[in-house]
Amino acid sequence: MNVLEVKGYSLDYPTPAGFVRALDSIDLAIARGEVLGLVGESGSGKTSLAWAIMRHLPPRAREQGDISLGSQSLMAATESEIAAIRGRRIGMVFQDPSTSLNPTLTLGQQLAEVLARHRGLTRRQAWAEGEAMMARVGLKQPAAMMHRYPHEASGGEKQRVVIASAFACQPECILFDEPTTALDVVTARQILDLFAELQAETAVASLYISHDLALVSRVADHVAVLHRGRLVEHGEVDAVFDAPRDDYTRRLLAAVPRPDHRLVTGKPAAGADPLVEVERLSVHYGRTPFLSALAGRRIAQVAGNRAVSLSVQPGEILGIVGESGSGKSTLARALTGLTRFDGAVRFAGRRITGRRDMDRGYRRDVQIVFQHPDSSLNPRQRVREILSRPLTLYGGEARIEALLEQVRLPAAYAERFPHQLSGGEKQRVAIARAFASRPKLVICDEITSSLDVSVQAAVVELLVDLQRRNGTAYLFITHDLNLVRQLAHRIAVMYRGELVELLDIDDLSTTGPRHPYTRQLMDAVPPPREYKS
Amino acid sequence: MAELLRRLLRTPQGLLGVLIVGLILVIVVCGPSLAPYGPDTMAPRLRYRAPSAEFLLGTDQYGRDILSRLLYGARSTVILACLATALGTVAGALIGTTSAFLGGRADEAIMRTIDAILSIPSLLFALLIVNLLGKSSFSAVMAIGIAFTPGMTRVTRSVALAVTKQDYVNAAIARGERGGYIVLREMLPNVVAPIVVEMTIRVAFSVMLFATLSFLGLGAQPPSSEWGLMVAEARRFMHLSPWMILWPSLAVALVAIGFNLLGDGLRDALNPRT
Repeated sequence: MNVLEVKGYSLDYPTPAGFVRALDSIDLAIARGEVLGLVGESGSGKTSLAWAIMRHLPPRAREQGDISLGSQSLMAATESEIAAIRGRRIGMVFQDPSTSLNPTLTLGQQLAEVLARHRGLTRRQAWAEGEAMMARVGLKQPAAMMHRYPHEASGGEKQRVVIASAFACQPECILFDEPTTALDVVTARQILDLFAELQAETAVASLYISHDLALVSRVADHVAVLHRGRLVEHGEVDAVFDAPRDDYTRRLLAAVPRPDHRLVTGKPAAGADPLVEVERLSVHYGRTPFLSALAGRRIAQVAGNRAVSLSVQPGEILGIVGESGSGKSTLARALTGLTRFDGAVRFAGRRITGRRDMDRGYRRDVQIVFQHPDSSLNPRQRVREILSRPLTLYGGEARIEALLEQVRLPAAYAERFPHQLSGGEKQRVAIARAFASRPKLVICDEITSSLDVSVQAAVVELLVDLQRRNGTAYLFITHDLNLVRQLAHRIAVMYRGELVELLDIDDLSTTGPRHPYTRQLMDAVPPPREYKS
Repeated sequence: MAELLRRLLRTPQGLLGVLIVGLILVIVVCGPSLAPYGPDTMAPRLRYRAPSAEFLLGTDQYGRDILSRLLYGARSTVILACLATALGTVAGALIGTTSAFLGGRADEAIMRTIDAILSIPSLLFALLIVNLLGKSSFSAVMAIGIAFTPGMTRVTRSVALAVTKQDYVNAAIARGERGGYIVLREMLPNVVAPIVVEMTIRVAFSVMLFATLSFLGLGAQPPSSEWGLMVAEARRFMHLSPWMILWPSLAVALVAIGFNLLGDGLRDALNPRT
């Protein structure tokens, strides 16, 4: 008996240029106790399907087919029937716990509200039940947690509360919309374990939406691959991974980074003078207000980096990993003179102790590529103008067309605006801009994390190719351990602003990490399962 | 651009604003050739006439045709008002963006000075400047331009602060660009949309402020047919012929309403979320 069934469902969204098809004849079924993983890249319609099941679509959207829960058709249900079903019979867990919880209510109030509303408990009962649920999802000190506001809890704790409220009414079906994407790898791993445990215990039918194939292969029984609104593959996890039938699935599987598949060959020349040496670099955020300084009061400052020391050889790829807030990007900002820092950077024999010491030569040789190409390319400038700036500043005989060709974009793109390019193309333009001044060191700050897996693979391949041709050194900042193990010669692990471990890639595979945090990080991200291509 | 116009014409206030401002522009461009008489042609025997087939809007104390004077006066009134607003907008946009870009202590110093100037009512401030520069249309333009600068600075800075956080500004700093380039080429184009909206709304204020200055005898000087001046002169003859004061007042009101509606329409059209 299927709990949730989607039959021949199509969805069109209205746009000024007519209707656009978001989902095309989708057939899905989830049985009791089953987890269906729904995989797709951004814009493939994953979230649209979740909202269609929750019956929360824009008023002018056009639908065909049927969605039913048990024996009841959801599309035929009235508003009040749907209101009774939502939360009670279908739960939902959102991607970002910091926006899905109301910041003005305590966690306890939000959890108790669900219980009081759907199970008809009195406030006192609901509160006690909520506390039990908090303990159930592994929150320490549930009684104290009930009285906290969302900003007083960490991201992982908040997501546990969201999961608790989804499971609170023992629904028949729960939709998980990328529940771990906004969390750190270590926290995400704990949330996944919790999910598996609760799922096994309550035998709820789950739809697990994710862009991460490796992750879905671990949590789901069945997997469905969505591509541009169509289901291109649907079957048991083992079957899909062992023998993918569709071309798109195969490409998706091939694009997942595998740590044992090294993309970079060779090593930087040993014994050469280091290109950059970072000596005890510290960054503090927050300045002392003028009046406090007069009064002699000291303001507690937030440390972004604490005495980080490392060096990069010419032509070396140094990977920097760590969870969000570990100070990876702060290091990048300090090295490009975007924040003040204490300590020093030694570059080409010169000692740089602040922004003022960064002269033209340093600016030319050290370039940065940012995480979001949407924000790093000026929306009002054409690609030609974006790329011509480093050329006017630092000379060089390269032409715009040659720069575009270097990153494998057609020359005609020079006349386009950034919004006329896709995410991967935009990131290529940003890379071309960084390479225009022929730098010796390029800092890549999470440059692939906003891209889809298949696009990420192409961008990484491009970076490797550029490195081989130009001998550029990279400071490759990422949270994706599998990716960095494909690329880097050495890996620096950062934790709470400190550099906890710096290990050679060969040592990593032979002796393994020494620091407990590195080990924890590696355990949280197991390498993706093998598949037969 | 065509898309913007389509979005603008879809809202009622945008459509009405475009129509009224379009009409005003037509009058500004070809007003003198549409006028049935000269602006200074006097007819001593046909004074204080009510509207009639001969004089559509009546005549004034010297027997001059009011319609013709309004059509001629549109040029000085509307063009000078737009000029003054443009002056205030450009100055405000530059100061606001620079202040946001500099940040820290420099930002504090600039903005607190602006706040101090902002606390003086704009009419009073304009009067002060006109008194310093002497009575003329030019000094009235300067006065209104300077009086508008602090307000525009505030608006621009609030938008520019968000732009400063964008990575393309960081990228420009990391690339070693000069401050001037970053302010003019990287930041200004991205704060233009809200500034344009604020500017159209301020044109309306400017027309009124201009009329007020002329009314007080500090802007345009007789025998100019600037609308504010026409109102000021007509005041003395209100009991003989109320039409004389009514028509130029209505003209000022129409310009103010037209630009206000256009500004409202533009605000909705430039904001993709509405």
